[in-house]
Order: sequence, then C-alpha cells, then structure tokens
Amino acid sequence: SCRELAVRGPRLQLRSLSAATSAVWLAAYGLFAISENSMVLSAAIFITLIGLIIYLHFVKIDQESLLVISSLGIQVTSSYASGKESTTFIEMGQVKDVVINEAIHMQKVIYYLCILLQDPEDPQGVSEVVPLFQSSKPRLDCLIEVYKSCQEILEQRKTPPQSS
Amino acid sequence: NSPAPLPERAIYGFALFLGSWFGFILYLIWAYVPETWLFSLGLTYWPQKYWAVAVPVYLLVAVAIGYILLFGMNMMSTAPLNSTHTITDNFAKKQQQKKFQEEAIPALRDIPISEVNRMFFLPEK
Repeated sequence: SCRELAVRGPRLQLRSLSAATSAVWLAAYGLFAISENSMVLSAAIFITLIGLIIYLHFVKIDQESLLVISSLGIQVTSSYASGKESTTFIEMGQVKDVVINEAIHMQKVIYYLCILLQDPEDPQGVSEVVPLFQSSKPRLDCLIEVYKSCQEILEQRKTPPQSS
Repeated sequence: NSPAPLPERAIYGFALFLGSWFGFILYLIWAYVPETWLFSLGLTYWPQKYWAVAVPVYLLVAVAIGYILLFGMNMMSTAPLNSTHTITDNFAKKQQQKKFQEEAIPALRDIPISEVNRMFFLPEK
C-alpha cells in the first residue's frame, strides 16, 4: 500500500515582503539623493522585481511531501512558491530504513528525518544518508508521526504481498 | 610530574618574574623616552617607535580574529546533515559481536540507529 505525508511551511508574509521592498527602495532613494542619478531608482525597482521572482522560484519552498509505496519506492517532492516542483525517487531496493537522526546544525542540535540507503557490498552498512524536510524542518512531535507512518508501510515490504 | 612546589620551580618563577619586569621597563623606556636623549647616551640602534604602538595593536587584532577563526573552524568540521558520520564511524563499523551469555550483562556495543529509533518512537504495548 502507499501513503503520502506532506509538511507545509509558512506562507510568504505580507509584512516581510513589504519590509524588504521598503528597505531596498529607501536605500535607493538615499543613493539618489546623494548622487542625483535617476537610474538608481529604476534600477531599484528592477532589482526588487527580479529578486522577488528569483526568491519565489528558487528559494521559497511551500510544501515538502513524502510518498511511500511499499513495493516501489519513496518519492520526495518539494514545491516552490512559484509552482515549480522538484521530485526525487528512490527505489525500494536501495532503501534500508527511514529514521529520525539527531545532528548538530548551526549551534543547535536538531532532529531530522532521513532515508538510509543500503550499501550494496555490506548488508549492515549505510552507504548514504538522504535528509528530508530540509526547509520546513518540523519538530520532533511531527517527525514522530511521520516516522510511525513510514514504519508501518516499510514493514509491509518484507512480508510478501498476499494475492487476493 | 606532580604540580607540587619544588626549589627549581621557585627559581624558574623568580627568574621569569625579574625577566618580565625588565622587559616591561625596557619597553616603556623605548616607547616614552625621546630619541635625542637616547642618542646622547650612545644608544642609537633601536627599532622605530612606530612599532611600540603597532605590535600591541597587531596582537589584539590577532586575538580577535582568533576567536572568529576558532568559531569558523568548529563550524567547518561539523559533519553536514547528509553524511554517514552522523550515524556511524570506523570503530562502530568494525566492532565484533560478542556471543550472548545467559544471566550476564550484555557486552558494550554501538547499537544501530534503526534499533534505537524503534525503541524510542514505536512503543510496544
């Protein structure tokens, strides 16, 4: 069977957008007052627009979802604010386990969910660690729910599917 | 190698104390006494007085950069989130499994992360 688990990040706030725009335009107006060059103002408008588009398309992730299909594999999807979606698929043969790992990240210890990939030579070893939900970084209570859900699906891959 | 006081250590300490006072008085003389007075005494081969201010400033800036450098080096040597070093290391990969004996305390070993997670987050009733 299969299950999809999605974590939504916070939407783009109007106040932070207006704060950033006002800061850039005030700086541009200050430069214009010093240099008397009106190109500064049009450059500031251009920079604001292009910067907003780049931010929405490449940086701001709205939702990250995990689709676990016990016989096929795991698909990780990140959808950006501009509508772009980037997906990664890992087939079930390579997946060793989905665990909650703790690591040091920027002067804090965080819990994060990750997929452990099987090492082809060593059945006990882990060849790679794929961290999930990197931009929304949910807390431990949310991660435990996702973990329990994933473990239920992963247990079904060991037992052969019953033919009905 | 105990840190107890010994006669040799007392002599070393006193020699260092006198030496550091001598160095400090010499530094003050060099920095404050005008060049003409020193020349009249016959002492002409001194470094430029510019260095009396420059060397302490260099040292203080080096200490401040050292703080930032240490912080940065710590951050750089922390394993990233996607590396296997957050889960295991060379010692854990090569550990040998000791045989389980009845009634004995189990041997110390590195428990794999899947087992730890199951124990923490999947409570069995």
